[in-house]
Amino acid sequence: MSHRVLLSLSIVAVFCNCACSKRLEISNINIKQEPTELGGPKTIIEYDIEDTNISPQSPAYVFIRYSKDKSNWRLITKDCLRGNGFDIVEKPGHKQVVWWGTEQTSFTEFDKVDIRLRGIRMIRVPAGKFIMKSLPGGGRDESKDLTPSSDIPLFYMAKYETSIIMYADYLNEIGAEGAGWNQRMTNTDRCGIIRKSDNTYSVEPGRENYPITYISWYDAMNFLQWCGLRLPTEAEFEKALRGGLFLDGDQAKKDPNPMPERRYPWGDEATNANGVFRCNYDGPEDGFEYTAPVGSYDIFSSPYGICDLAGNVAEWTLDWYSTSYHTGLDGFRMVRGGSWMAVPVACDAITGATQLPLKESSIMGFRPAK
Amino acid sequence: MKSINRRQFMKGSIASAAFTAFPQGKALGANEKVIMGVMGLGGRGTYLAETFAQRPDVEIAYLSDTNTRRFARAREAVEEAQGKRTKLVQDFRKILEDRNVDVLINATPDHWHGLGTIMACQAGKDVYVEKPMSHNIWEGRKMVEAARKYKRVVQVGMQTRSSAYSKKAKQYIESGKMGDIYLVRVFNMMQHAMQNDAPNQPVPEGFDYDMWCGPAPKLPYNPSRRWLNQWEYSCGPIPGDAIHQLDIARYLLNDMPYPKSVSHAGGVNALRDGRETPDTQFATFDYGRLTLLLESALWTPYMKKTPGNVRDSDSFPNWPFSSTKVEILGTKGFMHFSRHGGGWQAFDSECELMRSEFGRQGDKEHKDNFIDCIRTRKKPNADVEMGHQSALLCHMANISYRVGNKQLEFDPQTESFTNCDEANKYLKRKYREPWVVPDIV
Repeated sequence: MSHRVLLSLSIVAVFCNCACSKRLEISNINIKQEPTELGGPKTIIEYDIEDTNISPQSPAYVFIRYSKDKSNWRLITKDCLRGNGFDIVEKPGHKQVVWWGTEQTSFTEFDKVDIRLRGIRMIRVPAGKFIMKSLPGGGRDESKDLTPSSDIPLFYMAKYETSIIMYADYLNEIGAEGAGWNQRMTNTDRCGIIRKSDNTYSVEPGRENYPITYISWYDAMNFLQWCGLRLPTEAEFEKALRGGLFLDGDQAKKDPNPMPERRYPWGDEATNANGVFRCNYDGPEDGFEYTAPVGSYDIFSSPYGICDLAGNVAEWTLDWYSTSYHTGLDGFRMVRGGSWMAVPVACDAITGATQLPLKESSIMGFRPAK
Repeated sequence: MKSINRRQFMKGSIASAAFTAFPQGKALGANEKVIMGVMGLGGRGTYLAETFAQRPDVEIAYLSDTNTRRFARAREAVEEAQGKRTKLVQDFRKILEDRNVDVLINATPDHWHGLGTIMACQAGKDVYVEKPMSHNIWEGRKMVEAARKYKRVVQVGMQTRSSAYSKKAKQYIESGKMGDIYLVRVFNMMQHAMQNDAPNQPVPEGFDYDMWCGPAPKLPYNPSRRWLNQWEYSCGPIPGDAIHQLDIARYLLNDMPYPKSVSHAGGVNALRDGRETPDTQFATFDYGRLTLLLESALWTPYMKKTPGNVRDSDSFPNWPFSSTKVEILGTKGFMHFSRHGGGWQAFDSECELMRSEFGRQGDKEHKDNFIDCIRTRKKPNADVEMGHQSALLCHMANISYRVGNKQLEFDPQTESFTNCDEANKYLKRKYREPWVVPDIV
């Protein structure tokens, strides 16, 4: 059987989390099928990712989705893929992914399949101890005699909060029935996604790189299921913000964190020290009355380079509010990071807030973790 | 009682003295919006602020909390709901100072319910105060006195009273089909986590801890030590929730007056984490020919509050495992009643179903009733006197526990115990200056 290129066009969605210079571009996509000794073809997906900022510390998370009918899309799980261009991609360059098919696809129908590749810029947070000062249930422990013994394994966190353009892309793929969207998202000061009469979604011009808001915990979870990621835990959020005792992790221990008890991602300086605004919090003095484009304060990012962990939008976490709970009820979830409406002290590393998971708020968004 | 002149009163209470200089409230026009300020922006306070703000006849003009970290969540919810900005203040007295404000919503921890409500009444504000209405028995009576003296509407957040299904249950019991009622069992079986063990902490920036403590002692700041589990700030997590069922039991039986005695069994049986308040409470209230039992615990994961899919639907909870049910036992019939809009079912002596009513939660109706009473000056469904009578059961049970689970006899005239001086020491708290509830409100 000779090689053949799929008849359908593969579509590439490029995430632009903030300014154009920070786009994560996937280009030169080529998809073909080859026969195998087992009889059926394998699908080979090739593409280029040229962003020179991609590194083991700042990799791309690439995920691939397919559809046989242009309306029902599925994530290709990484168990079905081989190659160097899916999941965590640590180097730029030419990538090849081999898809061996899934039980939902028959090889004979492959020429009808559409494939989409997308990428999210992630940051690596190496395994190791860090100082966890928040307590379950929204409390805080700022005592000096606390032993820093919190230890969590390697994880990855999105460099930027999930942007409106990312979320609109998701809606346009899954959201024909309106799931995941609500009328409040049309608010152009605080969000800016319009649902059109043909059940597609458009982004208010200029709002593409602002963080998505008015999103419930369940909406966030559905988005993350769509791309194969998850929400961060509170501990991960706090470690991502403050950094571990060693920024290169406890295995290497060559790069000690100069401020492992820092109050904010940038250190202990106030959010407006010396007249320089370091994050987007309550009031327009910081340059933004409502949300700011993600990454607007990137020079004040966390020790790992994760942006907007303080202010802009408060972020859903995976954790339940655990002080007092009633089984069987819709319990509170924890939200971290402060927001554009929060007082400065609420944007610190420790402060957590509770929210019912159905809440859709203009001060809350989310970011993926893996 | 010896009278006290105004000068003496002002000298006796700095807080009240500061407050009495506040202007009195304005008269509310028939079509005017009710202007509210909210004191306490925890989960319940934020919920009340948001849901009141969603009403076209209400404006939330102020949000107040001693902890500025709590502002954003409530402010966003309110401003989204009413499309109008609201003021943020750490000191709730700023709300009382504003004569344009009609209502104070008091959703603070228990130790601030009394003084916050009394000061609001003195400032000419109507009050919606969360349950349990008072921190102690004496304080509850002072709240009633303040409401009456200043002719204020004080609605307590015991919203099951306003549900239509509660009224139907009451009418059914009154019809006599259940026979004579001699026994009522109230349940509050919950699942609480253990407290964490962490050292005392510096007070975080942006938090007025002194004001948060208010009338209570200013203990070293320790957020791991939950306020709900400490007597200085709370009636305890069991009474804090069980009061809903105790109150509805009283309502169903025509707001039966004071019990003659209380006895208590239980203590900190399971959650031995340094807490003061019990995790297991079994209280018996003797009303003469009626006995009221409270059966409650904080370590029963198999007992479920009315599930979300049962609330506001045509279905009933799984009664054996309903954690917040009330059982009415009559000579002819037996009734399950569920809080949170779980409905009720009555069975006859052959265990055959006599009557069922599905339930709907009464939150909206409770607010409707409050707003209506603000305009008509009628007593609301959960009037301050009802709030006091129901909270009193919680206090009586707690006091019995605190004096060694003794049976205590109660004198309704003096609202004190007749057989235990030690118990009477718990009738009133020691108030921390300047946050003192005066003898004469």
